[in-house]
Amino acid sequence: MDLNDQQLDMLKEMGNIGASHAATSLSQMLMCEIEMTVPEVSVIDISQVNKYFGEEVSAMVVFEIQGEIQPAGYIVCHVPKLSAIRLTNTMLGSTDEDRDFNEMDESAITEIGNIMISHFLDATAELLGVVMLPSPPMVAIDMALAAFENIIAQVTSGDINEIILFSTELKSTNNDIKSTIVMLPKEENLKQILVLLNNLINPEI
Amino acid sequence: MDNQNADHSKGVNVGIGEYKTGISKISSIGLGSCVAFILYDRKLKTGGLVHVMLPDSNGKTERPGKFADTAVPLLICEMEKRGSSRRNLSAHLVGGASMFQQFKGNLDIGNRNICALKEYLNELRIPIESEDTGGTSGRTVYFFPEDEGKIAVRRADGKCYEL
Repeated sequence: MDLNDQQLDMLKEMGNIGASHAATSLSQMLMCEIEMTVPEVSVIDISQVNKYFGEEVSAMVVFEIQGEIQPAGYIVCHVPKLSAIRLTNTMLGSTDEDRDFNEMDESAITEIGNIMISHFLDATAELLGVVMLPSPPMVAIDMALAAFENIIAQVTSGDINEIILFSTELKSTNNDIKSTIVMLPKEENLKQILVLLNNLINPEI
Repeated sequence: MDNQNADHSKGVNVGIGEYKTGISKISSIGLGSCVAFILYDRKLKTGGLVHVMLPDSNGKTERPGKFADTAVPLLICEMEKRGSSRRNLSAHLVGGASMFQQFKGNLDIGNRNICALKEYLNELRIPIESEDTGGTSGRTVYFFPEDEGKIAVRRADGKCYEL
C-alpha cells in the first residue's frame, strides 16, 4: 500500500496526539518528565521486519483494537527488558536492576501498558470521532522480533505483504526508561482511518 | 568463515517468506509462531532454509515461501536445482511457538504451521530428523550445512543448544 506525503503527515499527527496522551499518563505514573519523539510511520515489507525489531528480550503488551472500526489491527506497547525492570523499580521504589523479570514486573508492565494504550486510543478515537477500545491486554516477555512476527501473522492473514508500522518512542531521562508504542493496523481499516482524517481536514466535502 | 563461535557472527538472515540455499551458514532470527523449515542433503552437505509464516496459501502463488503448503515443494525444488536427490534430504523444523495464550485453537498459528509442514513432508516422504517446536518462547536458529548440517538454536531465555 502506498501512502502519499499528506497521508503520512496525517497519520503522524494522529500518532502524535495519541502518544502525547500516553506520555502524559506515563509521566503521571512515574512522576517525572517524559520525552517523546516525533512519530514515525513506515510501510514495511514483511521480509524486512527483522531490520526494525531484534532479538533483545522485551516486554510487550499487546491489544487488539476493538470498537467501531473492527477488526482494526493491533497496538503494542514495547518496553526493552531493562527499561521494564527500571519502570517497576521506579513504581515500587526499589533499585535492584540486576535481576530477572518476575511476576510483579509482568503485572506492573501489563497495567502500565494498559493505561498508556487506553489513553492513546482514547485520544485518537476522539480525534477521529469513532469509538476505539483496547481488548484486554496480552503480554509476552520474549524476543521482540518473535512477538511481532506472531502479531504480523495475525494481522496480515496471508494476503498482505506489507505492514504499516507506526511508532513513537517515549523516554524518561531521569530513570533511563525507553518504550515504544507500535500500531499495526489492518490495511482496509487504515483506509477507513485515512478517510476519517481527510474529512477532518476538508470538513465541507 | 563460519566458526564455533558462530552465535556472534552474522550469516545470511532469512526474513519472513524468504528462503536461502547453499553450503554456508544460514540463520533466521526471532522466530515466534513462524517456522524455519530446513532441508539438509547429507550427501552433498548442502542445505536450505525457508521462513514459513502461515499454514495455508489458499491458492495464492505469490511468495511461496510464506506458506507451509507452497514452501515445502519450493524448497525441495530449489534443493534439486542444486543437484540434490530427494532421497538424501532430511527435514528439520524449528519454531512454531505460541507466545500469547490468548491466541488459542484456530488462532494458534504456530501449531498450525507445524502440523501443516509435517503433513506435506509426510506426503512427499521426506523424513523429519529433528525438531524444536512449540512452547511459548521465541527462537533464533543457525544452520551450518557444510558443518555436517549442524543446527544451533538460541531461545529467548538465553538457552543455547544443538539439535
